[in-house]
Amino acid sequence: MSERLKESLRRAESRGGRASVARQIENWIAGYDPILGVPDEFMDSDGVARQHWVKFFVALAKYSQKDLAQRFETADRLIRETGMSYRVYGETSERSWPLGRLPLLIDGAEWAGIERGVAQRAELWDRALADIYGEGRLVSEGVLPASAVLGSPDFIRPLHGVRPAGGRWLRFYAADIGRGPDGRWWVLGDRAQAPSGAGHALENRLVFTRVFANLYRDLNVDRLAGFFREFRAGLVAAATRSEPRICLLTPGPYSQTYYEQAYLARYLGFLLVEGGDLVVRDDKVHVRTIAGLKRADALLRRIDAEWCDPLELNAASQLGVPGMMESIRAGEVVVANMPGAGLVESRALLGYLQAMSHRLMGEELILPHIATWWCGGPNAIETVLSDFDNKAISGAFIDNPPGLDNGRAAIPSELDPGRRERLRRAIERRGVDYVGQEIVRLSTTPAWIDGSIQPRPFTLRVYAAATPDGWRVMPGGFCRMSDNIDARALSMGEGVTSADVWVLEDKPVEQTTLLATGDNVRIVRQLGNLPSRAADNLFWFGRYLERAEATLRLVRCYCTRVTESAPDGPSSARARLQTLLTPRRAEDEPDAPVTKSPAEIAAAALHDPRYISSGAALAHAARAAGSIIRERLSQDIWQILGDLEHRLAIPLPASPLPEAELIDRAEGALHTLSALSGLIQENFNRVAGWAFLDIGRRVERGIFTCALARMFADRDATADNLDVVLDLIDSQITYRSRYLVGVALAPVRDMALLDPNNPRSVAFQVQRISEHLAGLPTLRHDGMLEAPQRIARLLDADLSTAEAGKLDNAKILGFEQSLMSLAVAIEARYFLQGSNAVRAETPRGLA
Amino acid sequence: MIYDIRHITTYSYDSPVGSALCTLRLSPRDGRGQHVLDSGIEIAPLPVSRMARPDFFGNLVTTVRIEESHRELRVTSLASVDVRRESQPHADLTPSWEEVRREVANVQTLDARSPAHFIFPTKLVPLYDPATDYAALSFPPGRPVLAGAIDFMRRIRKDFRYDQEATLISTPLSEAFEARGGVCQDFAHIMIAGLRGLGLPATYVSGYIRTIPPEGKPRLEGADASHAWVNVWCGADAGWLGLDPTNALQVNDDFVEIAIGRDYADVAPLDGIILMSGKQTLKVSVDVKPVG
Repeated sequence: MSERLKESLRRAESRGGRASVARQIENWIAGYDPILGVPDEFMDSDGVARQHWVKFFVALAKYSQKDLAQRFETADRLIRETGMSYRVYGETSERSWPLGRLPLLIDGAEWAGIERGVAQRAELWDRALADIYGEGRLVSEGVLPASAVLGSPDFIRPLHGVRPAGGRWLRFYAADIGRGPDGRWWVLGDRAQAPSGAGHALENRLVFTRVFANLYRDLNVDRLAGFFREFRAGLVAAATRSEPRICLLTPGPYSQTYYEQAYLARYLGFLLVEGGDLVVRDDKVHVRTIAGLKRADALLRRIDAEWCDPLELNAASQLGVPGMMESIRAGEVVVANMPGAGLVESRALLGYLQAMSHRLMGEELILPHIATWWCGGPNAIETVLSDFDNKAISGAFIDNPPGLDNGRAAIPSELDPGRRERLRRAIERRGVDYVGQEIVRLSTTPAWIDGSIQPRPFTLRVYAAATPDGWRVMPGGFCRMSDNIDARALSMGEGVTSADVWVLEDKPVEQTTLLATGDNVRIVRQLGNLPSRAADNLFWFGRYLERAEATLRLVRCYCTRVTESAPDGPSSARARLQTLLTPRRAEDEPDAPVTKSPAEIAAAALHDPRYISSGAALAHAARAAGSIIRERLSQDIWQILGDLEHRLAIPLPASPLPEAELIDRAEGALHTLSALSGLIQENFNRVAGWAFLDIGRRVERGIFTCALARMFADRDATADNLDVVLDLIDSQITYRSRYLVGVALAPVRDMALLDPNNPRSVAFQVQRISEHLAGLPTLRHDGMLEAPQRIARLLDADLSTAEAGKLDNAKILGFEQSLMSLAVAIEARYFLQGSNAVRAETPRGLA
Repeated sequence: MIYDIRHITTYSYDSPVGSALCTLRLSPRDGRGQHVLDSGIEIAPLPVSRMARPDFFGNLVTTVRIEESHRELRVTSLASVDVRRESQPHADLTPSWEEVRREVANVQTLDARSPAHFIFPTKLVPLYDPATDYAALSFPPGRPVLAGAIDFMRRIRKDFRYDQEATLISTPLSEAFEARGGVCQDFAHIMIAGLRGLGLPATYVSGYIRTIPPEGKPRLEGADASHAWVNVWCGADAGWLGLDPTNALQVNDDFVEIAIGRDYADVAPLDGIILMSGKQTLKVSVDVKPVG
């Protein structure tokens, strides 16, 4: 450590620090050794620490080692538990998403320059897009070559000549920036298709503020909420209705950034929709809801343009909305960003940006960008090839033109001679497909690595949003840090962590959140209409939870009986339980072993995901259904759901577990489930979404109880069998208090099926379902009942007039089948229609 | 030559289809040597909505939505077209292919007239080095562009086998190229890939070709077919010239253009989304009748 750094620490110490603080910092940074000739955020080229970093480290060092370790651990736990995940495309499970320990600090005065530069660039691109899709003067006046535009797969021809609703092509823009060798911030690339990461930046902030609340206050860190509020206001202002319905259009849960999208939708109060949720009628976009079609005024688009509309763009797309282009042309929907805005990401344009800025803005660019030569332009190809080894070669429009194959820039001097020559020939043949760029090493910033602090290269994504008052830049951003000191290997793949970004002001900053101010807020008790897909998933979420509970109760009941009694006849309670529990194989696992011993059966029923009725499979299914409606589930619910899966989805033990252990596990999971039920019961808003969740649970509980009654309360049921029913429907105590004579068939049947006061009886479930259905919107105007209501009322009448003594299994089976047809009727009425959209076969030329 | 054209496309479904949303590109283009005297499309069952508009490249696109349950969808396109093309310039009088390539870079417009729309790879016609290398044999330095393109077209006709079994509509270009076989779509795509690989603008053209019955035999009703070929840009003066690699013919009055685009996907005569669960079968019948 340099003398001057020690000096600045001593100064910090004398300002009220403790000696231990200085020692702590010295320990951390003992090995901090920035690369020669590459700027570092923490130390300047003379090894002098910058003041804002010193202030930060001093504040950090005031925590005891133990306290700090605990806080870091809390951060890790928060990330794990809130399901913050970064999904690698194609993977079905999600992986925890790495957040670094240290923030990136940027001084407020320096930030002001970045802010102005990014806002200028956003405005420039918006104007450039309006020109490119409109008058085309940049091209006709020779500022920009036509091929530099038309090579982009994001030149969306159906929108040529269109004026977007709300006036802007670009509403949400991001620039990737880094500090170059000269100490200035450089733009590395532009993002306009559907810039991702802003939600991650918010999440990072959420975690850090919970862990280091006082640091934020003490260091005057700028807040992020105002930015999002104004972005939202910009979309509202662009729409024609005063209270527009705004949707975030997602490619769905298999998208890499789905969680981020769900998080943003929730934070911004947008409806999270997939293409299938939307439909175009009379040139307007509508959401399919349980109350029919409802107008969607604005879309925050997270689907790449190409996939937006199978009628006019990629016909194979199943993600998009047929007719969306027509709706956009008619000016009936605000889209952020407009399809086609993605063309600003073409590297080919970078070489012309300065000239475009002069022409469209009458200004110099505030932020420089990496020097770029598009090899389709005059003389550029010679410039690039004459200095081939000192350029980075990338695709001008797409990532993998011939000669480049891993989607990254190639540095010719690092290629083997064969590939180098192949690349050179490819450029000579079709220069239009390539750019050469200056090779830039980026500055490093402190990263926490195994308890010490090390310099690591990073890039920073800065966001700008169009607001009613012009462009506003998020004070912060999404910082990605490489694990490797080699700065050029940056892509969000292996070994990259993210960091919270703090913009530090001199004065305390104003606290803002998305809370609106003043009296202009109209009280709303129902959040619009529930999209059919959300209703569908809530319904199944409820059903899976209830099924999981049934399995767990069965396991507990079975294991108890196994420990208490020896195996006996086939009609004994134990044998019947065993039949019920003997797992059904999942369709895609026909080879899952058929288990034999009671402990094996119980363990498989709890933990083996290959069986569709196992606790593990059902907890997973519940979480999967939940993940599609993640924006509707609170963080607490999500956390417990994760816990439930965590308890059940564990490897099967090599040797059989004792029954007592299995009972413990089942009970543990049941406790988690009841905590979940409690949360849902207490905290879930009683709007339509809740109704579907609850209907799902109650349909499933009714069906299960009917099945139980048929199996354990049939004509030949023994007292032990009837006891099982009481156990499983949690009604032992009530029964004993009502009937002093001991268990008998009719009273047990009454309690399980008909008693409207027993919250586990079938009658009780049906009554609640009827109430829910009565509260849901209806599509008929003729006053007739819709099918689900008709079935539910009929079943209710049957159950309330039936007599326990006259029931038989056929009758009970009738109840069960009514419940099943009720479920089918609910799906048909409220959810997206089951038949599949298929692409018409296209005729093939015969000549 | 005036043609009466009847083009019937019939989809049969083995279970009822509740709704369908279709895009039809079946109306012949007007201009550049052909004049549409009359054209119309009949659809059964009747659509609830129907809209026609020109797309970016000037093709007339009809979008229809059908809400009536049906087991058969029948689209009949009728047109009467007067074709009088100028004959193509002498091949040796066209500019060199390098000159044409340079000219593309200097065109200062983004509208549909710009040949720069047609030099870049697309989904169906990616850049494929072997196709470019194959094309390059026809384009030695300084060769007039049309001479090179005609030579290229003839080589495709000679080296590739017309074979309906060789490819499917989903077969990637590279496979059709390796197999040295396919149908008119494949021939057109391969020729386009080769030309674009060299930086020369080429469009995909869908249309009809008049079939001339063997001497003494009558014309067979419905035996014609839709066809595909290529337009090559030969510089601002000569403009777009049609070449048919399937038949090794320079496009003349026997050809009727329906639509042009970057590849088949831009001009697919019939595309769309139907709500159904069963199987579909497709039947196409085309009649191109010269009437004077």
